[in-house]
Amino acid sequence: MRNMLLVARREYLEQIRGRAFRISTVLVPALILFLLGVSGFTGRKLAGGRHIAIAADNASLAADIRADLLGGKRASYTIDTVAPFTEQDRANLQARVQNKSLDGLVIIENSASASPSVTYESQSSADLLDTSRLTEAINAGFLNLRLAQQGISSFQVHSLVQTVPLETLQVSSSGKTGKSQGMAPFYAAMLMTFLMTMPILLYGMDMARSVIEEKGSRIFEVMLAVARPEDLLAGKLLGVGAVGLTQIAIWLAAAALLSGSALAAPILSGQMKIHFSVLEAVLFPIYFILGFFLYSAFFSGLAATCETAQDLQMYITLAVIPTWTSFAILPFLLNNPNSPWVVAASLFPPTAPLVMVPRIGMLSAPYPWGQLALSLALMVFSIWAVIWLASRLYRVGILMYGKRATLPEIFRWLRYS
Amino acid sequence: MPVVELAAVTKAYDSKVAVRDLSLSIDAGQMFGLLGPNGAGKTSSIRMMMGITMPDSGRISLFEKPFDRRNLDRVGYLPEERGLYKKMKVLDQLVFFGELHGLTREAARKRAVDWASRMEISGSLDKKTQELSKGMQQKIQFIATLLHDPGLVVMDEPFSGLDPVNATLLQDALLDLKSQGKAILFSTHRMDQVEKLCDSICLINNGEAVLSGNLREIKSRYERNRVIVEFQGRADFLKSDEIASANNYSGHAEITLKPGGDAQKLLHLAASMAAIYRFELVEPSLEEIFIQTVGGKANA
Repeated sequence: MRNMLLVARREYLEQIRGRAFRISTVLVPALILFLLGVSGFTGRKLAGGRHIAIAADNASLAADIRADLLGGKRASYTIDTVAPFTEQDRANLQARVQNKSLDGLVIIENSASASPSVTYESQSSADLLDTSRLTEAINAGFLNLRLAQQGISSFQVHSLVQTVPLETLQVSSSGKTGKSQGMAPFYAAMLMTFLMTMPILLYGMDMARSVIEEKGSRIFEVMLAVARPEDLLAGKLLGVGAVGLTQIAIWLAAAALLSGSALAAPILSGQMKIHFSVLEAVLFPIYFILGFFLYSAFFSGLAATCETAQDLQMYITLAVIPTWTSFAILPFLLNNPNSPWVVAASLFPPTAPLVMVPRIGMLSAPYPWGQLALSLALMVFSIWAVIWLASRLYRVGILMYGKRATLPEIFRWLRYS
Repeated sequence: MPVVELAAVTKAYDSKVAVRDLSLSIDAGQMFGLLGPNGAGKTSSIRMMMGITMPDSGRISLFEKPFDRRNLDRVGYLPEERGLYKKMKVLDQLVFFGELHGLTREAARKRAVDWASRMEISGSLDKKTQELSKGMQQKIQFIATLLHDPGLVVMDEPFSGLDPVNATLLQDALLDLKSQGKAILFSTHRMDQVEKLCDSICLINNGEAVLSGNLREIKSRYERNRVIVEFQGRADFLKSDEIASANNYSGHAEITLKPGGDAQKLLHLAASMAAIYRFELVEPSLEEIFIQTVGGKANA
């Protein structure tokens, strides 16, 4: 036990003091902040400051479209209307687009005909949001125009085209209904699966690289003369696991500090608003730690059979398959969190850490406590089994130099130890 | 009483028997040489002593008790494959190994500083291991082996990679340990060092002990049939019937006598033909015994 803790402390301190830790601790959030910044900047650019002119042969149509665009929640435009317009007006407006005093120009001709001509001119290729918003407003304008031409009053037109909001309610198995969170649980599920997958795989690979590096430095023979291979492996797992938790704690602390800032607004509000329940907040670190131990022990055992990091490459697929499976399960999870495939994936130890927590997020009380307990029990048992196997591979593998072991050799090693 | 004892120990990997029925024992204050050609089973034997691998049969005792990992705190092991944490600072590394062997952090630090001073590496304690030369790293490994003041020191090829000055430094440290009553086992190919340092040896070949015991006794079992002659004059005495083979290097001749060859007769003959400055009947060197015993197959 003492040696295991000494190995864990060494591993932890060496990694925390290392340059790689400092760089990754700063770089990952910096990258996320950069992406958020880019998205915020783009959002602001979309949301305001777009100066558009509408040149139409029908003043009422142009006014309708203008009113629709200005009434939108997400975007605010400065919109000039020229209706009706002359060729000179068109030339003037096109010149303003060219000298960038206008961002875009909508030209509507033959509006009274069955096939009117509508064009949008701008110096930048029209972005998706802009184009879809414009199309929506123009079509609504034409609908109003055509209905008015049929003699329907503007009040009647308004009531005819009025959209009906759909309220979604979530019904629990006890029969209680609550307001559904719409897409929020899906975004939360995606985020949690991602947050769980990346560190587990990264730290698992880090463990493997560390085993190969130490095998290369021939340190193990000295270590094995003072400590049992099980202690070395468990110490390493604890140390690297603690490094991972430290790093995540730093990121969470930084995120908490930044959550009040404007940069975080895009993910903390609106349609992408993400909400985590207390149960998810409790389960997340538990499954993270269990997942880390499972994958890292597995990688360490395999790493002991390898000579170089390249040798390890072929085993990466073994870890990637469960993570792909977990991401592939997400749409099923959104449709029905209790479907057999989702339940199986939330119980199967390699996918359980990545599926169970998002699944719980999609469910409402009462939660499937039995399945949760079974999933945790299966995880703990698999970790014990994998550590047992890995320490046997470790015991023999770390003293075998020269080449990567073949599968028959790996089975023989398990027999030796 | 033996500090370490192997009794009829056997270890096999699949069909290959690495060590067969090996018995040896090392007492306190004894320096013991484990010799043998490459692949003879030296490292396999040492690994079993250190509990890194387990024997298939036979018995290993440490400090007069059946093998128990807890007793490894009293053993210092320097493996042939040297290994240190490359990115770790030297002092941190030494303290870590000291703690693993049961020392407190403070005691380990104090001993590391003392040993570093003795081995003349004090200036490198704050450096990372990877910044040091191979010889310096060897000294660090040597200190790490001895930091916890072990009762049994096991060293696999301890002098490899060291220059003569540092080899002497290490050799003196080993002799000191011996005088303090530590049992020392080292495996080496350097026969001159074994002859100079060891009290007892065990020569193994193909996993089996082919020669073992007190070095003086072993040597005395071999006939003194080698003669060194330094002379000036005619070299015809080298054709004597007493001689099995002779090499003459311009007045320095190395002669091997026939079984039962009479050295006195040869001396008389030589003196009648040349001026004799030196005529010495020497015992066989360990290297000769080694080669003779393993049938000249040693490639060590």
